[in-house]
Amino acid sequence: MERTEALLIADLCEGDETALAPLVEKYKRMVYRLAMQITKNHADADDVMQETFIKVYRSIRTFRKDAAFETWLYRIAVNEALNFVKRRERQQASTLETVSEAEYEATLRYRAQITNDPHAHAEKAELRHHVTEAVNSLSLKHRTVVILHEFEGLTHAEIASILNCSEGTVRSRLHYARKKLRTLLKPYVDASNV
Amino acid sequence: MGSKCEKIERLLSDYMDGTLSERQQSVVALHLRSCRSCKREVVDLKKTNHLLENFYVEPEASDAYYAGFTTRLQHRIEQSAPTALHQRLLAVATRLGWHLLTQFHRRIDHSRLGGFLSIRQHAFPYYIFGLTLTMLVVAPLLLNQVAPQEEGNHVLGRLYAAAKIRFFSADSPISVQPTAALAIKQDQAGAQPIDLRRSVEAGLPSPYKRTTDLPVIDSGSDVWLFTDEPMTEGYIFTALQENDSDTVPSVALDIDSELLAYAELPAHGAFWARLTGRDVLTESRYALLLLQGMDAGQHALQQYERKWSGFKGFSQKLLDVPLEILSIPEVYDSREL
Repeated sequence: MERTEALLIADLCEGDETALAPLVEKYKRMVYRLAMQITKNHADADDVMQETFIKVYRSIRTFRKDAAFETWLYRIAVNEALNFVKRRERQQASTLETVSEAEYEATLRYRAQITNDPHAHAEKAELRHHVTEAVNSLSLKHRTVVILHEFEGLTHAEIASILNCSEGTVRSRLHYARKKLRTLLKPYVDASNV
Repeated sequence: MGSKCEKIERLLSDYMDGTLSERQQSVVALHLRSCRSCKREVVDLKKTNHLLENFYVEPEASDAYYAGFTTRLQHRIEQSAPTALHQRLLAVATRLGWHLLTQFHRRIDHSRLGGFLSIRQHAFPYYIFGLTLTMLVVAPLLLNQVAPQEEGNHVLGRLYAAAKIRFFSADSPISVQPTAALAIKQDQAGAQPIDLRRSVEAGLPSPYKRTTDLPVIDSGSDVWLFTDEPMTEGYIFTALQENDSDTVPSVALDIDSELLAYAELPAHGAFWARLTGRDVLTESRYALLLLQGMDAGQHALQQYERKWSGFKGFSQKLLDVPLEILSIPEVYDSREL
């Protein structure tokens, strides 16, 4: 019989290592997506994923059962990814590289493949490229808030909890991030009929 | 853009999200009816959001990558699992026992009938020595395994944790230093820390010297991050208020969100948390100290020194923490730290 998430967490707390795999299975895509968007690098995202789940495994007993596991996981993953970027900045002492063309193309091919959309390249590739690049060009703080709010659908309060800052800070960052995006995407915004 | 528009413009993002108060929402809506510039701003922001929703390419990896990830993770967990001291001792004892057994087997004189028990006499003292040594190592472990576990509530007077941390050169800009977090967690009691401070080594420029206010504790969080306050070298410590919960309190030390030390406190009655390989880090620049149920810091320090004075290694690192830090009442009253 398939174990519920609550049961898996309880079992993991009791030291049952087999409870980790189903949790990883359920959340690995979410964690990867998040890590990749923050680190903008597949190798780093892979490391962040591993560190995140190892931390879940080791710290699960400190997880409050009345809290949402997903939010807890978000918190760990986001902080791991942010720290990864900060560490990399320290090491490189230079600005972040954006997603490479090859990685971007690979992602696009994969998405076209899974959505079975043969026209994805032909019709919308340029627009997708520019929109994605615009998000990637945001500062780390602004990008993180945009990702969590716009793409992960988290509320201001949830983001504030994850980033350990006030809701006002989240709103402010979101406000400036949107303005920046509007400027970056101005030609497409002006051309849009929505 | 007038001052009214500037004020409204700052609210537009929240207006779109519907997170303004009812009054603010209606104020903005009223303004938009009469201001083409702000109306245009809202339309542009909505169009931007539409572009994000429909054309942003979320990163995705291949199925093959995800398939291999779980296996790699499992392997990594097995490899990196912290090894407790008793586990390492057991491993050494096992290897020693196996070595003695093979030596024993080699020295049997097989040429003689009943040679299984015929051991060359000159080797005998070595066997006795080896077996005694093995028993000395293994016996306490076996006794420890069968000893009844202490039970009872974790009724704490107060619980303190202190950590000494040394990062990189103080010459490096503060902005590139790692962040540190020290947390005492009491799962069900929901207890908040009553004090949480940190200090840096004397001699650093004044901006580095600061006292950290109590952070806002998130109910689901296991660590409390000093997100924007990296440090080069110094101490952080915290205390938990009195509680009578029967849940096991735990202490965690994070550097840059990496869990470096984690310990669960022993049952009621122990003055000091039992220190194992998981509690204290492999690198000498970190030290985590748990102080449980103390009335006076100095008294606790003496207890601590007595307990660990004969134990080199971990204890030596902890004893590097200066007295004034361990003397909690002093620290507690001082606003310097």
